[in-house]
Amino acid sequence: MDFGLTDEQQLLLESLDELLERECPESYIADLDLHHQPPTSFRKAMHEAGFMSLGFPEEYGGTPVDAITLVLLAARTARQGLNNGYGLELLQAMDIIEFGSDEQKAEVLGLLSSGDVPFALGFTEPGAGSDNSAMTTSAVHHDGLVTFNGTKTLITNALQSKYLLLMAKDPAVEDPRKAISMYLVPMDAPGVTTNRLDKIVWHISDSCEIFLDDVTLPESCLVGVKGNGFKQLMRNFEMERLVIASQCLGLAECAFEDAASYAAQRVQFGRPIGEFQLIQQKLTDMAIKVENMRNFVFRTAWMLDQHVPLKSQGALCKRYCAMAAFEVADEAMQIFGGVGVTVGTRVSRLWRDIRGHRFGGGTDEIMVHIAGRQIVKDHS
Amino acid sequence: MNAAQSWIVVADDAAATGLVEVARTLGTEVVAVVAGRRAVAEAVAGVVDRVLWLGEPGTAPVEAFAPDVARLVAEAAPRAVVGATTPGGRALLGAVGAALRSPVLAGVERVELAGDDVVVTRSVLGGISQHRTAVAGGPAVLAVDAGAAVAVSDTAAAVEEVAATPLPAQVVEVRPTTVAGVDLGAARVVVGVGRGLKAREDVALISGLAGALGGEVACSRPLAEGVDWLPKDRYIGISGQRVSPELYVAVGISGQLQHMVGVREAKVIVAVNSDKAAPVFAQCDYGIVGDLYQVVPALTAALGGTA
Amino acid sequence: MKIVVAYKWAPNPQDADVAADGSVDLGRAKWAVSEYDPVALELARQLADATGGEVIGLTVGAAGIDTPLARKAALSRGLDRLVLVADDALDGADGTRVAAVLAAAVRGIGDVDVVLAGDSSVDVAAGQVALTLAGTLGWLGLAAVSAVRVADAGTAGLVVERELPAGTAVVSVPTPVVLAATADAVVPRVAGMKDILAAAKKPVEVLSLAELSVAEPGAVLTTLATAKPGGAERTARIFDGSDAAAAATELVGALRQSGAL
Repeated sequence: MDFGLTDEQQLLLESLDELLERECPESYIADLDLHHQPPTSFRKAMHEAGFMSLGFPEEYGGTPVDAITLVLLAARTARQGLNNGYGLELLQAMDIIEFGSDEQKAEVLGLLSSGDVPFALGFTEPGAGSDNSAMTTSAVHHDGLVTFNGTKTLITNALQSKYLLLMAKDPAVEDPRKAISMYLVPMDAPGVTTNRLDKIVWHISDSCEIFLDDVTLPESCLVGVKGNGFKQLMRNFEMERLVIASQCLGLAECAFEDAASYAAQRVQFGRPIGEFQLIQQKLTDMAIKVENMRNFVFRTAWMLDQHVPLKSQGALCKRYCAMAAFEVADEAMQIFGGVGVTVGTRVSRLWRDIRGHRFGGGTDEIMVHIAGRQIVKDHS
Repeated sequence: MNAAQSWIVVADDAAATGLVEVARTLGTEVVAVVAGRRAVAEAVAGVVDRVLWLGEPGTAPVEAFAPDVARLVAEAAPRAVVGATTPGGRALLGAVGAALRSPVLAGVERVELAGDDVVVTRSVLGGISQHRTAVAGGPAVLAVDAGAAVAVSDTAAAVEEVAATPLPAQVVEVRPTTVAGVDLGAARVVVGVGRGLKAREDVALISGLAGALGGEVACSRPLAEGVDWLPKDRYIGISGQRVSPELYVAVGISGQLQHMVGVREAKVIVAVNSDKAAPVFAQCDYGIVGDLYQVVPALTAALGGTA
Repeated sequence: MKIVVAYKWAPNPQDADVAADGSVDLGRAKWAVSEYDPVALELARQLADATGGEVIGLTVGAAGIDTPLARKAALSRGLDRLVLVADDALDGADGTRVAAVLAAAVRGIGDVDVVLAGDSSVDVAAGQVALTLAGTLGWLGLAAVSAVRVADAGTAGLVVERELPAGTAVVSVPTPVVLAATADAVVPRVAGMKDILAAAKKPVEVLSLAELSVAEPGAVLTTLATAKPGGAERTARIFDGSDAAAAATELVGALRQSGAL
């Protein structure tokens, strides 16, 4: 089994290191977090260096790379302390490359390739999250047009995005599995309004309620096949879970490094607290969790690259990494003591941001729901 | 080889006391070859035994005279050739080294003679180690700090003009520097801060102390390149700046060699660190073991500044 | 225009372990294109793009500098091709010998207009090799170059800007010429995946040291002793900072008494 990096991966990581050092220092991230701003200039620099089109097929101007490479880059960016800084663009591109019309591909890939955020995913509703059968946002097709009504909530990056990738239901279709379709709705279409939600995590990503009030667009805004919306969306969930897990890994590595350095320097009772075994046990268990996450994430990526069916591997990985990363961040904060909760100490931000990953992209509990079913099925 | 002679190569700058000092140690007769204005040659003539001057350079950069300098030195084959570490000095030494097929030794800290061999104590690998090196079989070519300017003296040697054929190049314009970057090298007092500092805002605390001491703020590598709390031109260390102030105060700096090589020439080093086992305490003249957040304001106050 | 970038594949002594006797263990040090050389690579690429020229990387050293990773690391930074001399006879070679080998390779490449180099290497850090290379070739060598462009139409050569203590000097230079850049002359671009993949396909020429006619050294260096520098002669007087005000007063008193203040 080869745990080494290829020359290409190593050089790409060195390039990323250079960019992070230059364009994404801690002061920059802390400032974004404080002022609740997205990392626009960093994204632009990443785009200019060609990172934003990694994984896209060549015919769309991209450079194909394997999942392991993408996961390495996503985890490295997160290790800088930047949450959701890299890795999700590919998912957005793949949704559209696979199912979009030529016009939709040109538009979305064009936005991606100029470093913009093309769309936010409009899925969650006040009454429907993972239970998509409870979705109420309606899409009524008529005269070559389609009219949307409903409310979406907790939509990440809505204010930065040009479009909403809207999941909506045809009220005339009984079977909930065949009722949901996917649409690309301009955020500035008449009848679309937003309300930013204040939250205690993920300050650099906005979260919004989105109200759709008789929003009427040409039917060409449909993405893929009518009624196949949920199936289409599901296609990328495994990859999304892996990207989230790699974020968790990187953020946890960052928290661990901060805590270990602090323990080696902070002197109490005449010696660095890292010399006390109670602190050493914390650091040891944190290191084990980080190592487990790393192995889990890279093996899952390897399975994707080898076309081994993931089944519930993505859900297992996402659940483990979100929970373990938060345990690492929580212990890191404990090692810092009171300093750890002060604004401006990086570990406090990591603790907040990792906490968000325990529900973003599906809760810890939904991951049990997905994996548990699969495990029982495999043994029946 | 003419073992009695040592030569200095002067690149249009009367700052040459450092060159002469090294050359005097290595030869009974010191010969200077000056690429540059006559005034520089005349000043140098006061401190050496013989001056060869390559004529008025006009618009030619001093580097254009490198082949002439190399030719003169190679013909004389002295025991040692000493030049400055400035861009012009290194260009002249490069040509000399090439002509003599002799390495140009930099980081020179001390020179001595062992029989006919020149023995050089020099820092290597950016200063993390020190070597005592004997140069045998050919002239020693040394790059040293130029030192202070020499003034014109009454008992000067004659300036002998030597015909030169400079390479064709022309300085067409010189725009005086306007940027107000920090000049740590010129500061009498430098206060360096390291990872002991917990937050960017706390740099103000260090600035307060530097202000009370009339000095500049500097930092170790992580603060300039890791967290970016201070600009890179304030970073002291192996790949950053080297300073030699009267007083260096290391605050929250553990004392890794990679940082300390940058302050080794400081006259007095003070360390403030909460870890009494920090290596910095073995490399300082005065130390306070304590929390910098207590000690720095107290020091600022004791100096009459506002914490 | 034919541009050679003389760069170094070097270990970063930031990660070196130095023993008490001054011996240096670079085992943990990471090897890379030396810290300031990407600046020269970027300047060369920009100059070549402005003139339709070619950029050739050139590096010399011990056999270990020729690895697929080392080749790609350089070739992904804007080079068109690479020439290298990798021979263990060059392990620990002094700067003048390195310059002599570089010069022989530059002559071998032929018709070179400009050699560009970084400010100094990350390990030796003397800023000397590029200028000794100029001396070996008999060309003009200028350090502290912050910008370089082709001379205006009708005039031959290049116009370079140099950051010198007196200010910015603008120098009109003929070719061939050797230029060593300042550390911050330009911000080098980072290599993207396309550049890294393309690097594997670019031509690499390995020159044999034996076939280059490099003169034997005129002086021989012998290392008599090594030592860990500094520190030893300083005798620390330590104050207990648990009472910060008292310690501060004592220290300031001691500094005043010694004349440091």
